[in-house]
Amino acid sequence: MSTATATETHAEHAEHHELSFIRKYIFSTDHKMIAKQFLFAGLMFLLLGGLLAVTIRWQLGFPGRPLPAFIQWIFPDTMAPGGIILPEFYNSLVTMHATFMVFFALMPLMAGVFGNLLIPLQIGAEDMAFPRINMVSFWIMPVAGVIMLASFFVEGGAAGAGWTSYAPLSADGQYTGVYMGQILWLISLIVLGFSSILGALNYVSTVINMRAPGMTWFRIPLATWSLFITAWLLLLAIPILTGGLILLLADQTIGTAFFRPEGSGEPLLWQHIFWFFGHPEVYILILPAMGFVSEVIANRSRKPIFGYHSMVIALVSIAFLSWVVWGHHMFQSGMNPLLGMTFVVTTVVIAVPSAIKVFNWMGTLWRGNIHFDAPLLHAVAFVSLFIIGGLSGIFMAAAPVDIYIHDTYFIVAHLHYVLVGGSLFGIFAGIIYWYPKMFGRMMHEGLGKVHFFLSFLFYNMAFFPMHNLGVQGMMRRIYDPNQYEFLQGLQPLNTWISISIFLFASTQAIFAFNFLWSLRKGKVAGNNPWKSNTLLWTTPSPPPHGNFPEMPIVYRGPYEYSHPDREQDYWPQDEPPASSEAGGQVAPAPTPEPVPGD
Amino acid sequence: MSEAAVATMDRKPMPGMKVYNKKLGMWVFLLSEVMFFTSLIGSYVILRFAHPDHWAEVGTVLNVQLTAVNTFFLICSSVTMVKAFAAIQQGDQKGLQRWLLATILIGATFVGIQVYEYIALAGEGFVPALDGYHAVGRGNPHDGPSLGGPLYGATFYAMTGFHGAHVSIGVLCLIFVYVRSLQGAYTATSLEGVEVIGLYWHFVDLVWILLFTIVYLI
Amino acid sequence: MADKEHSHPPYILIWVVLLVLTLAEVAMSLYMTNISKVLLGVGLVAMAVWKAVLVAMYYMHLRYEPARLWILAISPIPLAFILVLAVISEFR
Repeated sequence: MSTATATETHAEHAEHHELSFIRKYIFSTDHKMIAKQFLFAGLMFLLLGGLLAVTIRWQLGFPGRPLPAFIQWIFPDTMAPGGIILPEFYNSLVTMHATFMVFFALMPLMAGVFGNLLIPLQIGAEDMAFPRINMVSFWIMPVAGVIMLASFFVEGGAAGAGWTSYAPLSADGQYTGVYMGQILWLISLIVLGFSSILGALNYVSTVINMRAPGMTWFRIPLATWSLFITAWLLLLAIPILTGGLILLLADQTIGTAFFRPEGSGEPLLWQHIFWFFGHPEVYILILPAMGFVSEVIANRSRKPIFGYHSMVIALVSIAFLSWVVWGHHMFQSGMNPLLGMTFVVTTVVIAVPSAIKVFNWMGTLWRGNIHFDAPLLHAVAFVSLFIIGGLSGIFMAAAPVDIYIHDTYFIVAHLHYVLVGGSLFGIFAGIIYWYPKMFGRMMHEGLGKVHFFLSFLFYNMAFFPMHNLGVQGMMRRIYDPNQYEFLQGLQPLNTWISISIFLFASTQAIFAFNFLWSLRKGKVAGNNPWKSNTLLWTTPSPPPHGNFPEMPIVYRGPYEYSHPDREQDYWPQDEPPASSEAGGQVAPAPTPEPVPGD
Repeated sequence: MSEAAVATMDRKPMPGMKVYNKKLGMWVFLLSEVMFFTSLIGSYVILRFAHPDHWAEVGTVLNVQLTAVNTFFLICSSVTMVKAFAAIQQGDQKGLQRWLLATILIGATFVGIQVYEYIALAGEGFVPALDGYHAVGRGNPHDGPSLGGPLYGATFYAMTGFHGAHVSIGVLCLIFVYVRSLQGAYTATSLEGVEVIGLYWHFVDLVWILLFTIVYLI
Repeated sequence: MADKEHSHPPYILIWVVLLVLTLAEVAMSLYMTNISKVLLGVGLVAMAVWKAVLVAMYYMHLRYEPARLWILAISPIPLAFILVLAVISEFR
């Protein structure tokens, strides 16, 4: 047991020699700085992913029309000669949009930013268990990003087999015309996997071993719980993908035939490996947001989260079940129908814990003293949009229905409702809520509301009609739906969607402006502007190196809002129970000593 | 509890996993390694199930005897590793250094024999690629019939190759720990580094125990 | 460091058992060609697993660690089974 570090006070850490610029800002081992690095990198890639989406929508909304002059120059003739997007380039666009969004935007923003920022502060630790591994875990990400970006500039262009990279389309370049790009895609993701695995092992170890005294498992805030569960999923799912990517890389480069039919390879094996990773992956992309939303809704309603224990059990259940539903992505693959049937059952079952969470959020809001500010608005939007995304999931879970809607825009609608309506709005809620702790200032509330309402409006205008497109038969990843007579009537709807997307994308400039403006001009935040209970808000904004002057002691759970015995509507976790000022009362005092057998 | 009593309390984190951070971290990392080998070994099992005709009779292509000896070596290196750890538990720095060196040498030997085996196999036409696979088997003439099919080669090299890479990385880490031990970095009360590299090394041995059986003996 | 109230685990004894099992496996594989393939496979895998468990319990010290650690350690194993068994059903 490293008793040496346990009893060493945090004050000793504050006596650190002044770090050089490089050690403080570039190669930092401080989890808070690493969180900011992930934030900066993640937002940059979010922007890139968004620009790729806008380009896709240009083609679908205005087919055959050259791109506007002000962006036409970006694309060389191999991609969009005369501004007309080539079909091969369109394949790369849809592939790379998803790839950058999933791997370089959402994962870093969810797990990289908030895992790093929240975990040590919410559990009362001075930093992560392995700060240097944390630093390495960040720096792998831009390296992988550069490799992925480079793939745009090689002959044949960037990967064009979808983010799911099904073999043999991806294994043999003759089908897409992409050779080097596909290889770079694989190498980039193999490299990136190490970032996730190292980060995950840090999060898991830190939450297990570094909780402050009194911070029992059921006193951990839900944001940390969700990040902890997400870390387990990352730890166990990413290596499966890594193995599959390596085998596919071998097929592409040294001529093996793991997945290539001409050598008795099995394309279905790729699909199984990919989705065995891929399904836990989508829960990795949503669980942290659920955690943020729980924090924000409880705090802004000034009420305890409804059913805290069931929220934790729901998180754990979702994580367990996420391993046995992957086949629902493959109902149309020609897989064994009996196997398919088991996936129908498990997929329907996994809706239950998600629904429990939805009802608990609603129960939290019910009769709360709700503050309708920007974080709360985004959190409530998360709940409503996640419900829509989840409901479309029920349709897809039924294999007979999926026969009809698989690989149509119905699926595209579903995934964007959960990933944008869910994850992205959850990330916005988290950024706005924890911005003061990161940067010491509040974001501008008025701009936050404008950004929210416009985003919510344009988002739904863009994505809701996609359910319709899908049911009417428009397939996904298609370059030109008008080649089919039965889809020609959908062009006006496609154009409407494209314009809505352009408006949605433009609206994000308000958020970007707000973010940057508030760094200098935002209202100075005190320690606890939201009057929250968690240990994180007991520190200065931003917290110093080492976070806490001495290890805090935790006396209660994180959701004691509006407790009847108290004058104040919040009750910090570390406030001692026998405190007589500020209307505090003696709680049935849980002792501050670690509970045996914890 | 009064504020005064609280202030003087000895503040220690919750017991958690009841092992120190580095050990927990290494175990958690090893779980991800289990999943990595699951994808490779799992693919092998699945492909063999789907195309059993790609696999040759035991011992006709692969050198079971040589690899059995190599397996023996790797198991011995696990013993030398625990002896190294046991030595430093007693504060015996010289013992730690000797047993670490033994582990390194045996580990390097394992890799060396594997490389030799790869070269021999490739020479006999046992390659991972589809084109060029013509495994005539041990001791057979070069124009003999091809035993098994390319999936045999592909899965063999993928599994044993990545295992070998893990062994090689382990040897490099052991060298690092060995150098540190020469500098007196480890004592009876400060031996976490030795224990965690030991865990990694035993894990690599454990994977080989499973791999040897299913790749060479079945 | 882990507090060990037990004496030194029987490292050499375990080594001998591992050796014996390895020899048994090789012998079974090379010379027991008359028994059914399934029985052969099951027997060999059982011995391999036995060896692996010995390494985990004694060399990796799981036998002497808190129970929660070995529960953590075996957690990915069910996932491996789920993946392989599910996909094998594609090819039956």
